[in-house]
Amino acid sequence: MSVTVAPLDREREIRTRLGWSPSRIAGALVLAAWGALFWFLLLSGRDALYLSTRTSWVVPVAAVLLSLASIGRFASARVRRPEPLSRREAWIMGLMVVPVVLLLVLPPATLGQFSASKRSSFVGSGIATSVGDISTGELSMIDVAAAQTSKEGEQALAKRAGEPVDFVGFVTLYGDTPAGEILLTRYIVTCCVADATIAQVRVVNVTPGEFQSNDWVEVKGTIYPIGREVIVNASEVTSVPQPERPYLTP
Amino acid sequence: MADTTIRTPVRNADARTWAGVLGVLVAAAIVVRVADPERFAWVQSFFVIFGSLLIQALPFVLIGALAAALIEVFVPVGTLEKLAKLPRPLQLPAAGLAGIAFPICECGSVPIARRLIQKGLMPSAGITFMLAAPVLNPVVIASTFFAFRGRSSLWTMVIGRFTLGLLVAIAVGWVIGARSKGDLLRPRPDDEHHAKHVLEIGAPEARWKMFFVHLGNDFLYMGRFLVLGATLAAMVQTFLPASIIGRVASTPVLDVVVMMGLAFVLSLCSESDAFIAASFVQFGPAAQLAFLVSGPMIDFKLSALYVGTFRRGFLRTLVIAVAATTFVGAMWVKVISG
Repeated sequence: MSVTVAPLDREREIRTRLGWSPSRIAGALVLAAWGALFWFLLLSGRDALYLSTRTSWVVPVAAVLLSLASIGRFASARVRRPEPLSRREAWIMGLMVVPVVLLLVLPPATLGQFSASKRSSFVGSGIATSVGDISTGELSMIDVAAAQTSKEGEQALAKRAGEPVDFVGFVTLYGDTPAGEILLTRYIVTCCVADATIAQVRVVNVTPGEFQSNDWVEVKGTIYPIGREVIVNASEVTSVPQPERPYLTP
Repeated sequence: MADTTIRTPVRNADARTWAGVLGVLVAAAIVVRVADPERFAWVQSFFVIFGSLLIQALPFVLIGALAAALIEVFVPVGTLEKLAKLPRPLQLPAAGLAGIAFPICECGSVPIARRLIQKGLMPSAGITFMLAAPVLNPVVIASTFFAFRGRSSLWTMVIGRFTLGLLVAIAVGWVIGARSKGDLLRPRPDDEHHAKHVLEIGAPEARWKMFFVHLGNDFLYMGRFLVLGATLAAMVQTFLPASIIGRVASTPVLDVVVMMGLAFVLSLCSESDAFIAASFVQFGPAAQLAFLVSGPMIDFKLSALYVGTFRRGFLRTLVIAVAATTFVGAMWVKVISG
């Protein structure tokens, strides 16, 4: 005996049959790609090139959440009703992965002299360390930056004139920088590099031509704050590798 | 009236499309590797700033999308419609103050606001919440406190930011007025899918599946606009001629306008912008306050998100309303603080 399937039953049968949704799978792949980037940043330590210690927690959180979101989307990718993906959407999803590819392929890099010259004229530093912090203890580049933001800070730093300091930063040289001097610069990052401000001191008594722009150096010497400018009379300037965390966090 | 919209046929992605997408990704990787961006300082700076903006902001978009998906799947329809029955003078301040409970930055508040509006919250209240949350939340207020600690303008900045932020958010919500969600929200392709699923014969999809679908859709949709906004913001940060800023610091009125413009182009996170505002020591508290209030509401990065979330014309209305109310508030602070 042959059984005829009524059109309505047939439609119902088609609808209850599960198929893969290209839209959901493509989305899951994009989420997975971004998740992979965050895992890479976390495991390679490259998050330090983009974020401060204060916000680096977002990297493991994003890595875990993106991985879960991707797995969840894969798991829900079987649908009863077809969900085709348009060409336009496919290209947009592909373009969303371009930043992932770029950040994975690019060699590790930090902000250098180019940005320091852009930022120094309009952003000094907004680091509001208290006057008490500047007055006591070992002086840091953050204290130097903080001292430039208020009269009280400036006065507190002035009282430390003649004290020994030990700073690490990168060399900044402009056309008008005298021979035998360098500007020692360090970026201070509160959340991410986009909010970077600079701490800068003028180092004198340096062997002319010994260092190039963007070289990382350790300067030992004596500090002399003069108004808003801070001068370090170097007793020793040595080349050092770029620190694991190139940016300072207040 | 008859629907005269002509729909162009949608062409679905096929194997050639995917091959093309893959080709572009491989080409991008090869070009970047071969070109060696380290040779060009500006390219290196651009990529570092672009990368940092995305790496910091995307997790917040994801957290926002997560909250939005929870609202969509687990908050019953009608819950927020009850709130919508409250009078607007009561609803807007309540929506603004609700922002205190959401320690999220501006990128996270957009998907949440969209979902709240979709779920029945009055659109003007949704906008007020979206603008207030990144300014009023405790993390932002604490960061403002620490950035201005030790300065005579400390409480002007902390209280001023909270109060002016709330007032601007309410005022903009008021300007949005009685627009319906259909007039305000830009339709998205996944809305159509969702509607089809709702009408579908048979058992609905499991809640956990719907949760992941909404989470992914929101993230992917907001994410593309964030990438666009971060590109623009990174370009500006890389090339902005620095010398133009200092000259106007002591010019009345213009200083406030310039600081608002700077907040727009720098596109900073509301949790860190106070430290930048504090660095503009040559500007007075009123101009710094304008920077802190308008920045988390309108900037390059957010503009791209707004364009993707709201209908045409909304961004223009929002920019004008935020800029005008912030300007008036900042000038008032200038008069008060001398």
